[in-house]
Amino acid sequence: MIASRRARLAIALAAGAVAVALAVAASAALGAQPISLSAALAGREPDAAILFSLRLPRALLAALVGCALAAAGTALQALLRNPLAEPFVLGVSGGAALGGSLVLVAAAGASRLAGAAGELLGSAPPVAAGAVAGAALSTVLVFGLGRIGGRLVPEAALLVGIVFNAFVAGVITLVKMLVPPEQASRLLYWLVGAVGYESPGTLAASAVLVTLAVAALVALSARLNLLTLGDEEAASLGLDVRRARAWIFFAASAATGAAVALAGMVGFVGLIVPHLVRRVVGPDHRLLVPASALFGAAFLVLADALARLAFLPLGTEPPVGAVTAFLGGPFFLWLLRRTARPEEAR
Amino acid sequence: MRAVTGGRAAALALAALLAAPARAAADDLRPSGKGAAEGGAIWVGPRPAAPPRRVVVLAPSLTDVVVAMGLADRLAGVTRLDDAPEVARLPRVGGFLDPSPEAVLALSPDLVLWVTDGGALAAVRRIASLSRASSRPFPILAIPIVNVADVVATPRVVGDALLDRAAGERLSRALAADVEDVRRRAAGLARRRALFVVGHEPLVVAGPGSFPDELLRICAAENVVRGDRPWPVYPVEKAVADDPDVVVDAAPREPAERIRRLSAVRAVREGRVLRLRNDDLIRPGPRMIRGLAELLRGLHPEAGR
Repeated sequence: MIASRRARLAIALAAGAVAVALAVAASAALGAQPISLSAALAGREPDAAILFSLRLPRALLAALVGCALAAAGTALQALLRNPLAEPFVLGVSGGAALGGSLVLVAAAGASRLAGAAGELLGSAPPVAAGAVAGAALSTVLVFGLGRIGGRLVPEAALLVGIVFNAFVAGVITLVKMLVPPEQASRLLYWLVGAVGYESPGTLAASAVLVTLAVAALVALSARLNLLTLGDEEAASLGLDVRRARAWIFFAASAATGAAVALAGMVGFVGLIVPHLVRRVVGPDHRLLVPASALFGAAFLVLADALARLAFLPLGTEPPVGAVTAFLGGPFFLWLLRRTARPEEAR
Repeated sequence: MRAVTGGRAAALALAALLAAPARAAADDLRPSGKGAAEGGAIWVGPRPAAPPRRVVVLAPSLTDVVVAMGLADRLAGVTRLDDAPEVARLPRVGGFLDPSPEAVLALSPDLVLWVTDGGALAAVRRIASLSRASSRPFPILAIPIVNVADVVATPRVVGDALLDRAAGERLSRALAADVEDVRRRAAGLARRRALFVVGHEPLVVAGPGSFPDELLRICAAENVVRGDRPWPVYPVEKAVADDPDVVVDAAPREPAERIRRLSAVRAVREGRVLRLRNDDLIRPGPRMIRGLAELLRGLHPEAGR
């Protein structure tokens, strides 16, 4: 049994790695501008600049964001014991966006008073910290208010998340009024969920943060299995439920916060990917979390390539969040109809 | 069920009631398809018999025209985007895209000047219908400004409206002479291929049909951006492949170092960036013409003064 699980884990990880490699290769090969791979490898411009300075860093960024969101989605689904849970739907991404935007506004205010301090506050690390804090607070809020009579009610938590999202959208709209117009339009684009071009330093730092958060979720995956049985069952099997849940909250929030700081509110990745992966590898989180993380990376790399290519005839490109929402909205409704029939649930 | 039907009927009746005056005004404001230079300006309401003294302007570029004509004292209200010192103390009536009918009406204007623009059309239609229904209806002059010829012709149109033809004529001639001067100095210069950037994140550039596209042509430069969108969100890799001779950074409110995000573009890597100090070139009035000489100097340092 153990050997067979190991074998299945190895197969799932290998398949995930191959999927990521293929997605990155496709994303690197395709784009607005036809390039020659041999010319790029020989260092000829502009092919080399397009491949190495634009497409590969962007694919890496999409992979990091997709990996973080899919892993966080898997963990939240286990915590809520409901396949509809997802960072975007539950308002965790919204909380992260609010946290990040508030830091940006504070930075805009501070730069008026003390230029250098404002610049520093508006740089990537403080914004990411604000996003992680916002994600953590909204997770606590959603799961706290989702309790009725001491029991976590998944539908209530989902509703809290949806209402919280609407609330956040309102607050961010107000915040947008407070910043200069050019910053407001950037904020708007970021909120829709856009994978763009980040500096190598930012990419490296986020790679570390996402790897740590996802590794923590992988390490906690056996506990996720216990938590899906219900709190009492898990406690009777010797799990410190509060502590395990707190760690999972924190790791999922860190992953979501990092993803939002990098790419804004890319929705539904944490819904689509874990669900499809679960159908193949089954409900064991020790397989599900790492496999979802890898396939999430591949998924968002492909979605971003699609965003770059779909509107090419118009000479423009939509943010990737529009693509994932286009795919994810109907998927959510389909999942909702499906899980509504109890005998077929999951 | 009955309540729902009744509610819907009431809503429809209300919508019809609200739509009726708006539709009447809609026909008046329908764009003629001609620019200001071709006589495309549209009057809605009675033309002023006496020189207007309480003019509300719904576009900063038109404010600049009135100020440059020396008639700033005729202004009663401007947009919140207006930053000319002459109008610093005037009341604001909303933005270029979202003028507030209430604020306009509260100033009891005797003329409203507007640059034809789809974004504000609904609000201006509302202003027109409110004017028609009021006891003291005021005229609205809608001026389509889509190219440099329109910019040059606009003071003439505004001079007509303010019943100060001489001032308008003078300014139009001065602007025309400035454009002609730049054209003359640009003639014979080797054309440079340029990318005109107005937003960094996402990358938004000036495409065909935009003002900068025409301004670049006047200044012996060629826009590398093709297609049919005036302000496309542009794929960065296309910018790299276009390999422009110079990148014009026309986002003066963004930090200067943000252009380095485009360092995959050779011109940026090699420092061939012309950073504009202000947004004069996208304000289609006297400022745009004034900025033209600076653009020429920046694009062609060899042209000298």
